[in-house]
Formats: sequence, structure tokens, C-alpha cells
Amino acid sequence: MVNAQCLPAYALTLLPRNLRLAEALRTMPSVTTRSADFEQLALPLFASLYNHAFWLTRNQAEAEDLVQETFSKALRAFDTFQPGTNFKAWIFRILRNTFLTTRTGIATSRTVFLEDQPDTLDTIAAGSTPEDTLIRLDNQATLHAALEQLQPQLREALLLCDVEEIKYKDIAVILDVPIGTVMSRISRARRTLRQLLQPHLGESL
Amino acid sequence: MNQPTQSNQSAEYLDPNHLGPDHLNAYIDGELPPAEQQGIEQHLASCHACTLRVLSATKLKAATSRAGQRFTPLPEALARLTAQLHSQSDPQSQPQPKPTGRIYSMRPASIRPVAWAALAAAILLAISLLGWRQLHQTNTLAAELLDQHLATLSSAATPQVISTDRHTVKPWFQGRLPFSFNLPDATALPPDTTLKGADLTYLNGQPAALLLFTIHKHEVSVFLTQRTTGSTLTALPNTRAGFTLHTATTPDLRIVAVSDINPAELDNLVTSLVQAQASLQISK
Repeated sequence: MVNAQCLPAYALTLLPRNLRLAEALRTMPSVTTRSADFEQLALPLFASLYNHAFWLTRNQAEAEDLVQETFSKALRAFDTFQPGTNFKAWIFRILRNTFLTTRTGIATSRTVFLEDQPDTLDTIAAGSTPEDTLIRLDNQATLHAALEQLQPQLREALLLCDVEEIKYKDIAVILDVPIGTVMSRISRARRTLRQLLQPHLGESL
Repeated sequence: MNQPTQSNQSAEYLDPNHLGPDHLNAYIDGELPPAEQQGIEQHLASCHACTLRVLSATKLKAATSRAGQRFTPLPEALARLTAQLHSQSDPQSQPQPKPTGRIYSMRPASIRPVAWAALAAAILLAISLLGWRQLHQTNTLAAELLDQHLATLSSAATPQVISTDRHTVKPWFQGRLPFSFNLPDATALPPDTTLKGADLTYLNGQPAALLLFTIHKHEVSVFLTQRTTGSTLTALPNTRAGFTLHTATTPDLRIVAVSDINPAELDNLVTSLVQAQASLQISK
């Protein structure tokens, strides 16, 4: 006997519409609709999660494994996801927590990162001279190199903000730090980038 | 919000109207409440220095966004992921460690070169696995069949049972499948057709027997699934990506063969399998 609960999501599409509806009504909320809901929310984020995983691991195979494991964990834990809350933040948090258990993640978390270290760059941060606003953005490679030079913790926060366009409060949840820390990391990340991108003396803008 | 250090306590920085770094960031990130945002916009209208900084910060943010979107997954990564999710969301498969296909169950490091070879031909299928699901219902099953068949072609893919003997292959499935089937005797098979081995697999969320044959050195995958009352039979295309798909049903089973051999010879093999099931009926 075919039990709709045992079928994966794509199997549902193989059933005729009326049968599908009847099954759905009878067995709701079934495993099938749950995993279909999950896929609907999670699969569009695949490319984003992979990109972020690559930035974390700096390795293609590791990034792929990390994303696989993230999806697997997220599906298992999908019952704990509260509808209406930010799914993207939820799954990125799982990605990050999974990353921290990997060898690369453990190594990264061991590197000394002083949250409130006196920042020598603060002189630039005030940004009161027009020269400070001059940075080189014409060369993509320069920016890539600058991003790679950022401390991982700063880069991570900045990418979640600028690439993933996640709100500070959600980044705080993902990184498991207070919102003030998120703001200071983003701020420091941008300051550092700015300094790395400062045109060298004598070079044109 | 700002904790300026000694060095940058310039008069301008302390002026509450000018934007501090944290305010500037919050402003370009759209994190400020509307009232504060309006206040800043009013200030910007009359302050050239702050406007320049906002402009520069916005440019940096946009450039970071572009530069940060840098790594794209391999096309087959999505197929691997969906295969894994489907096997995971199928409760029957839980006791089996990743039963969807041997190619997915190995460590990526060891299979990568092999998987590339086997999956190179399937890349087209793989990318569109998702899209097909909505668009072409029958294509999903056909793609799944072909995907699994391609996986068996990989040299690293060893069947779980390697045997040419039907008396070894058939009992192996007992207890592993919720149905039984009959295998034709070697003499009942069409000429130059050999049983190589078998695998337990999942097809369309149902456990399936995968029988591996060769006909004149062409690899053939035969999938046997239980024919159930609830399921409607999906019409499969006869060919897909240059492979022949041949379907037959018996009262209990659905048989699908996939191969690159010519349709007539594939038909002979399927017919011999169907005939073998008829003898099962009689013996029951």
C-alpha cells in the first residue's frame, strides 16, 4: 500500500491532482508536506549557503559537505522552526554551528579574536577628511584580496550583512553574539577594508 | 552608540549632527528607525562631508556585496543534495544508511573523480531536477531512473550482491523488500544476456530491486517495484538522453529497464522477466 507519508516530495507530483488533494487532507500535517515545506524554503537558499560555506571553509569539497550536513540537520530539526520567523537566519545559524564542529571551524575559533581590542584604525574611522572617502573600487581583484585579508570573524559578519542582506538582529542570532558586537564587527570590517583599499600614495584614484 | 577613542575626538566628530561610524553603518544598512533616518537625511541635505561619506560607504557596501557572491556550487551538488534529502525524508529508509544510490553514499573525496565521470552526462538532468518536478511529472521518474542507471556505470560502483546466480541474488532480497519476485534461469534469458548482480535501491520513495544485466557488453539496469493499488502508473517516455526506457507490468510488479542497448533486445530481456513472474504466480 502506498503511504503518502513515506513518499518524498517529488512523488506527490506523480499522483493525480484529486488523489493528491485527498491524501493531503487526510494526512495533514504529514511528513510529506513537512519536507515539501522545508524544501520550498531551503532549496532557494542553496547557492547562498554554499557561497557562505565556501567563505567559511575556503574549500570546495568542505563547503559542499557543510551545506549537505546543514540541510540534513535543518530537515531533522524543522519541527522546531517557528513559521513566520526568519527561516534564512535559522538555517544560516545551523550552517554556522555545523561549521564550528568541523576541523576548520575548530581551528578558526581557536584563533585569537579580541572583540574590543584598541583599534588603531579609529583615526581613519572618524572619516572627517575627504581623502578618507577615496578608495579603490575599480578593481574587483583588489577587493577580493582585501576581503580575504579580513579576520574571519569580521568577514563573516560583513558578508551576512552585505551579501546576504540579513538584519543586525538576525546576524546576532546567527553568530550568537549581542547586537552591539555585530555592529562593531561590521564597522571594523568596513574600516579595515577601507584601509586596505586606500589608494597608495602617488597612485591615481 | 559611539565610543570614540581619544585620537578622533575632533570637533566635527563630536557634533551630534554629523554621522558617527556606527550611525553611518546603521544608516546605509537600513537599520535605523524612520525618525532617525529622516533626521540624517535632513542633515545630509546640508552637509557635504557627510554626504560624501555616505556615498562612499554605499559604494563600498555594493562592491562588497558583488565581491562576496563569489563561489557557485557545482551543478551536480544540488542533485546530490536533493537525493540526500529525499532519502532522509522517507521514513522507510531511515535504518539504511543512505540507500538512494551507492554513488551518493561514499565519501566525496574518494568518489569525486568517478562521480564526475559518471555524472558528467547527467549534469543536464541534475541541474533541472528541481524545475522538472513542477513542469514534467513523468520526467522526474525518468530522470531518477536514468540517474541511478548512470550511477551504476561508474566503475567504482560495486553492486551489493555480485552474482550471476539467480539463486544467490533472489534470496538476498528476502527481508529487504516488502515484495518478492522471480528471476529467470540463465537459460531462459535472451542470448548473450548475463546477470551481474543486484542492489537495493529506492525509486520514487519506494524500495526497489535493482538488477544489473549486461547484453553484449551494454549495461542494463532493471528496476523492480511493487505495483500498489494506491499508485497510478506514470507513463514514461521511451527514450531519454539517448537511453532506452522500457516498462512492463505484472499483477504485482512494475518493471522498468534502462539501457543504451537497442529497444528490441531490451524488450526481450523485459519479456523474459515478465515470463518469470508468471511462473511465480503458478507456483504460489
